[in-house]
Amino acid sequence: MSNHEIVQVKNLVKVYPGGTRAVSGIDFTVIQGEFFGFLGPNGAGKTTTIKILSALLKKTSGEAVVAGYHVDRDPREVRRRIGFAMQEVGLDDLATGWDFLVLQGLLYGLSRREARRRAAELLDLVELAPVAKRKIGTYSGGMRRRIDLVAALMHSPALLFLDEPTTGLDPQSRLAIWEHLEQLNEQGVTIFLTTQMMEEADRLCQRIAIIDQSRIVAEGSPQELKAKVGGDMIRITIASTDERAGKALMDKAEALVKELSYVSGVSSRDGNLIIGVKDGSSGAPDLMRVFHDNKIPVTHLSVASPSLDDVFLKYTGRKIRSEEASGDEAGQMLRPWLGLKRR
Amino acid sequence: MAILRESYYIYLRNLKIWLAQPMNLVSAVLSSAFVFLFFGAPLGGVTQLPGFPAEDYQAYLTAMVIVMSVVFNGADVAMAVLTDILSGYFEKLLLAPINRFSILFGSLLMAGTRALVQVVIIVTLAILLGVSFKGGALGVLAVIASATTLGIALACLGLVIALKTKSAQVTQNSWLLFMPLAFLTTAFMPKELLTGWFKIAVTANPVDYIMAGIRAIIIQGWEWDVILPGLWMLVAATVSLITMATWFYRRATA
Repeated sequence: MSNHEIVQVKNLVKVYPGGTRAVSGIDFTVIQGEFFGFLGPNGAGKTTTIKILSALLKKTSGEAVVAGYHVDRDPREVRRRIGFAMQEVGLDDLATGWDFLVLQGLLYGLSRREARRRAAELLDLVELAPVAKRKIGTYSGGMRRRIDLVAALMHSPALLFLDEPTTGLDPQSRLAIWEHLEQLNEQGVTIFLTTQMMEEADRLCQRIAIIDQSRIVAEGSPQELKAKVGGDMIRITIASTDERAGKALMDKAEALVKELSYVSGVSSRDGNLIIGVKDGSSGAPDLMRVFHDNKIPVTHLSVASPSLDDVFLKYTGRKIRSEEASGDEAGQMLRPWLGLKRR
Repeated sequence: MAILRESYYIYLRNLKIWLAQPMNLVSAVLSSAFVFLFFGAPLGGVTQLPGFPAEDYQAYLTAMVIVMSVVFNGADVAMAVLTDILSGYFEKLLLAPINRFSILFGSLLMAGTRALVQVVIIVTLAILLGVSFKGGALGVLAVIASATTLGIALACLGLVIALKTKSAQVTQNSWLLFMPLAFLTTAFMPKELLTGWFKIAVTANPVDYIMAGIRAIIIQGWEWDVILPGLWMLVAATVSLITMATWFYRRATA
């Protein structure tokens, strides 16, 4: 194993009793320090994979090595080195945030003193110190996610697994979690996250694997994946005094642009020039220079990139489900009846 | 040993959760007090029946109140474990690099604590009501120890129900199983005064032997003919139920 590969998965298969194939022979690696994402719709196999990697679930076949240990041979060594914030936020509603974190630290082998120091530090980090002595059952959705996140960080793991960390959160809480995650990654924590949100994968992940119907269908950085769909589109509006002069300018511009090596196509539409380029961020300034040198007056320029939505569509032929995952609906409906919500 | 330390941490957490819900204890103690109140004095006349072994009906009832409280403790422990399973906290505990059996032991230790606290309160209540323990101070300790052990054993049964069904509906209603265990017994009348199917059911109910043993210590003193069958039954029930719970637990967390 290379020292840099903190997760190595080879031909991983999981078939549940009953015959459901949740994971059908996937391969991937996660590099130390990386922010890696599994992007896919509900039921694609994301949670199953992450549970196998954290030794919560037994694989059917294949190989999974996490932080240098085989998940089924040394599950405890694996668990010692990872943090895992689950999708079904497993919180102890009757415990205070403080007690919950300290116990978590003790169970991961910290001394009581260390556990207290670390709990105080992490509560500060996610701005939960003022509610530390309140019962978790009284926390809001965003607070629950944050305490769950820092619970996974109590033992300072080198690798953090996050299963849909912001599903069901309002935009403000989501942003707060994203900022915490970026900060952690900058501090050197390798993060492996699953999500069904394009925006989340795009913003956070350096590399993603798109998983659909239990298989990985594409892998790469968000930029690479988007580049595979096609390049960026630059739309340019040219100033002109009258229609004829405008037409002449447009023709001149089109002829000029066609000669450029990085332009993949050009067309005029509604008085605008639509130019296909490999990379809009470097293409746009160069195009401006060319137009300026040739005295073509540009009044407006915009760059549009393909989104991960387009990537997903290209590889699966479908759009990813845009609604938020609602979790186990039947279970959620029962909770108030059972008096479990507040316990 | 790491497992002892880990079990202790889990136990402490369970204890805090239990203390955070004082109604649990209050209702357990109140329901016991009601039995003394509703059945003790009003039905006291049954002691006049020929063949009734005690002069004080409250003394006779004490064993039943103690056993009833620890029997229902089994259902409460099951519900506590199930709540953790449903909230996902159980899985979070399993994710920690600890011996998974420490979670089981921490729960059983808590079941013992609950039973112990309840039994001590009931015994105190009985003494305040004028019940005198014929077995003496040692008898009081023996009653408390055996009832606590029974509480742990029955918590194992509740735990298996929770782990096996993972259903709140079933677990919440597991008192349906525990109730016959507590009441198909010589709770109110000695066996000599029972007849028909009830007498057969009582003879088949292992809990009755344990109850009879505890009662003997209270109303008769060290009457080994009654105490020993109860003791063996307690040992057998405890060993087999703990074994069963461990087996199910191993399977449920594999």
